[in-house]
Parts: sequence; structure tokens; C-alpha cells
Amino acid sequence: MPEVRGQLLPVYVMADESMSMNDHIGELNAGLASLHEALMAEPMAAAKVRFSVLGFSNDVVVRLHLTDLRRENQLPELFSRGATSYSAAFTALQLHIPQDVASLKRDQFQVHRPAVFFLSDGQPSDSGSWREPHRRLTDRSITRAAPNIIACGIGDAKPETILAVATHPDFAFVTIEGTQVGPAIAKFCTALTKSIVASGRSLTTENPELVVDKPEGFRMAIDVI
Amino acid sequence: MRPDGDQHAESADGLGSRPVREPLAVGPPVTPPPSRAPASPTPAARPVAAPPVGTPLRERWAPVVVDRPVTSFEPRPANRPPYRSDTIVDAWSTSHFTVRLASIRGYSHRYYGTPRQDDAVVAVHDPTGSLIFAVADGVSAAERAEVGANLACCTAVTGMLAALDSDPRVPDWTHLVESVARRLVELARPRHGPPGSDPERAEELFATTLVAGYARPSATGSLVTLVQIGDSGAWLLDRGQYVGVLRQKSDPDSPVFSSAVSALPQLPTQIRPVDVPLAPGTVLLVGTDGFGDPLGDGSGLVGDLFREVLASPPPPLGLAHALDFSRETFDDDRTLLAVWPLS
Repeated sequence: MPEVRGQLLPVYVMADESMSMNDHIGELNAGLASLHEALMAEPMAAAKVRFSVLGFSNDVVVRLHLTDLRRENQLPELFSRGATSYSAAFTALQLHIPQDVASLKRDQFQVHRPAVFFLSDGQPSDSGSWREPHRRLTDRSITRAAPNIIACGIGDAKPETILAVATHPDFAFVTIEGTQVGPAIAKFCTALTKSIVASGRSLTTENPELVVDKPEGFRMAIDVI
Repeated sequence: MRPDGDQHAESADGLGSRPVREPLAVGPPVTPPPSRAPASPTPAARPVAAPPVGTPLRERWAPVVVDRPVTSFEPRPANRPPYRSDTIVDAWSTSHFTVRLASIRGYSHRYYGTPRQDDAVVAVHDPTGSLIFAVADGVSAAERAEVGANLACCTAVTGMLAALDSDPRVPDWTHLVESVARRLVELARPRHGPPGSDPERAEELFATTLVAGYARPSATGSLVTLVQIGDSGAWLLDRGQYVGVLRQKSDPDSPVFSSAVSALPQLPTQIRPVDVPLAPGTVLLVGTDGFGDPLGDGSGLVGDLFREVLASPPPPLGLAHALDFSRETFDDDRTLLAVWPLS
């Protein structure tokens, strides 16, 4: 094992930018901004995270790529646009994640299994065809650095779909019925921040773990089905 | 590092050049613990330079910076009983060996106000001139990891001394490790609870790695025997090369890194001691992964630092100062025992 320059956790936020998010995209952007601010106050944990933000609709736009958030003045904004192609989201992750992990390892970092925080407010417009790219992304015999996916469904997102997206039943959350979309997004961002800080703290311990906090106002998708 | 056209593109660490170590360089200004202030700006890496004559004493004692430093802060107390010091240091010689030992609370534990969970014990068995040692790394997830690490070291060294008293030839290593595991389970038993053992509860409370062993002098040179439970390690520093003598922690072919560890009181199916000759001019190193992870194969800056520091036995506090080096993301507890054979 050559010298290691550091131990990192790649974190990806894959956010739904479909038109149905139009009324709430400001809340999502504000939530990510507060995540940034919170991580700046946790430099020990933030040092171990490389952060990417991707927005998906018909296609995927990389808004932020493998960034040390301590060195960013502000995060780029997400924009609502188009439909809800889960296929595009998972295909993009399968493209980016192995490249990113390989790149970090070339730079002599030890890389922990990436974490994807997937947020969607609706049903996929590509019905069942997203399942094959999702399978390729999460099958560790195909994608060796396959990520852990934490999936949060709000609004019209169906629990069954969110459960199928998450890589573990404990990683699938849906909003409690009647919850407003805007506040739910803010709570998603709060939980995301807590998860990143706690996971970053655990990285150099003997039992590193992806710490997943259930967002307030959400429930486990498996409990709803 | 990043796809073309990404306006936020930069290398993962923002550095375009190979990192360098700054011996005795001064870290960023000290800030209060868990501050809500933004992370301090990272100074650019600078060439290696010795501190100039007349450097103020406090700067000479600043942590050795390797590449990018950990955020500088004032540590919080490890505010839970029993008292546990931030650092332990030991340094002495016998007619056969010179010993330097340091065990240091990691930057993360200092930042969040939790105790050092590494521990180490080193002793001499007078009748044989053997050096007896144990190094342990309490598993962070365990509720009282520091108690487990301390008990494992003390029990292992006491057991080895007793074993050598009764038969100076070969300790029963399986018996020794089992006795350590048993002590952990005994300690987990509630004082006023029902009799019986609860290994799972002991694991929740006291899980710890352990490397234990002894170095015995002989007419033909010294011989070291080691046992390993978990991912703490041992190396020989031989003519500037670090040679791992125990199972290595990570698989370089693995796509992602995992430092999940097996630990006492769980026992492996087989305990196999490892024998290593310790030739004059060679240094035995026994350490936790807080040292082993940043060392890697020793070909980089951390390897350079300890090649320099261990070229000969450093002053009593010298090993502790070096082991407290500051390198971003390496914030685990660090323990290192270094042994030089004198003949």
C-alpha cells in the first residue's frame, strides 16, 4: 500500500430538477446552502468529504463535482426543468462514480464507499426502464465502487419506488402524508448534513459507517408499504 | 481528476504538486474547540526547512506539519472518569534494548472531547532480559473502548511476565489471548447482576485490537514473537525500509477502503504467533492504525519523517512530538513502540 494522503468519503446529492419542483427549488437551494454553512463549522468532518451535486430531469447536469466544501464560497443552484428520468440519474452515477474513485485513488487517497443522497418529488417518467441502470450501478460485481443510496421521496413519490431505489430498506424514506413539500425538502437537507458530519467523523475509526438520519417528517418507506 | 468543462474543477485537495513535509513548521492560528468559525484557510505546502536558530520555543513545539495540517484548535478535555491523559510517553534502556513509546490522543478525540482509546504497556522480564509489550486500539464504537484497550494491554503483559516466570522458553499464546478476552468479559459482568458471562455485552463495552509480544536477547541476536488480534500492526525499519511483519490492514486491490476490524473479546479461529529476528541496526515498530494508515508502505512523507526520527533513539519526548504530526484527515489516536536492539 503506497503512502496515503488522506481518507475520503465521496458524497453525491442527486436531486430531482423536474418541473414539478418548480415551486420548491428555492427551498432545496436554501437547504444546500445551509448544509454548506453547517459543514464549514465542522472542519474535522468536512475535511473527509468530497461533495458533488447533480440535478436530474430528462438528463443530468453536474452542478458541483467532487468538491471540498471548505474551499467553496457558495454552492451552485439547482433549476427546475423537464421530466423525471431515473434512468438518466443512475446512468450518470454509474459513469461518474468509478471515474471519481479512480481519480481520488490515483491522487493517493483511500476512498470509502460513496454515498448517494437521492431526492425525488415524483414518479419516474421512464416507468420501469430505470431498473436496469439502477441494477448496474448498485451491483458490486459490475460497479466495484457501487454506492450506498439513501432515497427520499416527497410529494407524489411512491414508497415502493423509493424502497427500490435505496440500497437498504433502512435507507428509504418517504414523507408522512400531508407534509408540505417545501418544509420536507428543508428537513431532508438537515438530515443530509447530520449524516455527512457523523459519517465523516466515523471514517478514521475502526468501524466506519454511513450514518443515516431519518429526516424529521419522514417515515421509513418499508413501513408504509 | 475532473471532467473537462466543469467550472468548479480542481484537484481533490486543491494541490497541483506533490505534498511536502514541514519539520517543526507552525500550524494555523489556534482556535477554540468545536468552533462555529469557518475552517481556517489551508496554507500552501512549502518546501522542507529546518526551523532557524532562535525560533521561539513554542514554535519548536508546534506539531510537525505533513502536507496539509489538521485544523488547529484548543483540545477539549476527555471529560469522563477515570482520568486519562492525552499522551503517554516512556523512554529507557536495558543492557539489551532501547525503548521509546508514545500513545497520543487523536485530533478527532481532542476536538470532540473524548478520551484516547489507544493504549500500550511495555515492561522488562528481569530473569531473561526480555522486553514484554502490548499495544491496543479500543474500537470507537465500543462504549468504553479506552477501558478495554487498557485492560487488554495490562492483562497481556502481566500474563506474559507470569508465563516467562514459569517457563522461559515459549509462552502459550492461545492461552494468553484467551485470558485477555476472558478478563474483558469478566469486567463487563454487572457487579450485582446474575452470574454468567455475556461476551456480546463485553464487545459492546470494551472491544479492542491487540498486538502483544516479547523480544528476547540471545547470543546470536534478538528474536521477537508477536500475536495480532485486529488491525494494529508491526514493522521492522531496516536500512530505511519499512517491512510489515503482521497482516496488513487494507487490500490495495479493493475498489473502496474499509477499516472494519475484528477485535477482542472475539477470538480468531486460530492464534498464530509470528517470529521475527531483530538484527542490530534494525528497529522494531509496533503501532496502531493511527500510525499505520498514514505510514502506508513508508515511501512517502510520513515514512520520511519517521526514518529521520528513528535513525537513532530520539530524546524521551521526541517520538511523541513526531507522532503528533498534523496531516489532514488523519485524526485517529496514534500509538508507536520503537525498540532498538543493543547487540
